[in-house]
Amino acid sequence: MKAFDYLRPTSLEEAIAMRIKYGDKAVILNGGTDRVIQLRERLIAPDYVIDIKHIPDLNEIKFSKQEGLVIGACVNMNTIGENPDVIKFYPYLAEAALSVGSKQVRNRATCAGNIINASPLCDTGTPLYVADAKIGMVGQNGYREVPITEFITFVRRTVLQPDEIVTCIKVPYYEGSKGIFTKIARRKEVDLSTICGTVLKRGDEYKLAFGAVAPTPVRLKKTEELLKGKKLDEAIIEEAAALAQTEVSPISDVRASKQYRLDVVAVIVRRSLKQMMEEG
Amino acid sequence: MKYPIHFFVNDEAMDLEVEANKTMLNVLRDQLCMTGTKEGCGAGECGACTVIVDGKPINACLVLAPEMDGMHITTIEGIAKDGELSPLQKAFVSHSALQCGFCTPGFVMSGTALLMENPHPTRPEIIRAISGNLCRCTGYIRIIEAIEEVANQYKGGE
Repeated sequence: MKAFDYLRPTSLEEAIAMRIKYGDKAVILNGGTDRVIQLRERLIAPDYVIDIKHIPDLNEIKFSKQEGLVIGACVNMNTIGENPDVIKFYPYLAEAALSVGSKQVRNRATCAGNIINASPLCDTGTPLYVADAKIGMVGQNGYREVPITEFITFVRRTVLQPDEIVTCIKVPYYEGSKGIFTKIARRKEVDLSTICGTVLKRGDEYKLAFGAVAPTPVRLKKTEELLKGKKLDEAIIEEAAALAQTEVSPISDVRASKQYRLDVVAVIVRRSLKQMMEEG
Repeated sequence: MKYPIHFFVNDEAMDLEVEANKTMLNVLRDQLCMTGTKEGCGAGECGACTVIVDGKPINACLVLAPEMDGMHITTIEGIAKDGELSPLQKAFVSHSALQCGFCTPGFVMSGTALLMENPHPTRPEIIRAISGNLCRCTGYIRIIEAIEEVANQYKGGE
């Protein structure tokens, strides 16, 4: 690792002032499970590292039916996955959080970091995409919220500005919604997603999102439109599975071929919808 | 620049000056000469550097040295008490749950953290809890059996 200054703000104001002062010479340090590797491999060589974990507000996770779920930026994956409200109201998000890395990694890695990294295969991306989550951030011009689908713009690119810090992820609550998260990887534990996807039923609507099949996680809007208001049967499920394949643009890489990913997208759509059909 | 940090290792208070571009693993091994914690991959894949911080297992290779300020860290050196191996360490010995031994400290730390959190884990829970630790010679069966033996001890209010 190149030498750098370690900064530890204890308030958001202080952290933002550091962001403004040091600009692109500084990086944020949260759980560090990606950041420390980037530093060690010299993929980045900042002069300043700003550790935000000592800002108290960022370490809270809270839920109410009015406000929904609010996940502070520094809340780690195990805390999310083991939170009783997340398990009860967002079980597909809990499952996704607990599918990241190992127990050791999840005790440090954060959901906010997973999203800000904006990897196409981020495990917590698709549950948040289907749940219409918003990313909250603070900068010199104050607080703003951006839907997650607009926050991530491309591979490793987001709308976060150089003076801004993500403070929370907000997940609205909808009575009676039901989601299924699926992760396909080469091994059961401690692996990156070859493909991941979440299918959510909310009233008579269906929301579908997939990861590792395009430059960003994607919502399958045409498939959602097809399913809207429909009673599920074998024929409509097959139609949805076929349509879903036309809404993704996977590549071949070390983990799988393009064709495999296309096939598995259909499998995940089919399995998730069949389970929903059977459970009513 | 050096950063003064105050923390606990195996219940002993420490004051050190550390460099920002070092990891907790570097500090434990090179500054404190506690070489039981191993460096395998250096990227959070293998678990050889597992330590317990505030009751939770983490990878020491992914924590920057100044982040240690205020932490309560337990390393493999703190598992035996008064010269006596812990029940889990004894079980590793009696089950021959090691061969070259390089991964063993990490497995003992993951197993210890699991048993602290859940004294009677099931086999699937044990397997899941050690999934962040890689062994490249003995295999996992004996390690699982060693943890299982301790998990089955003290059952029924004994």
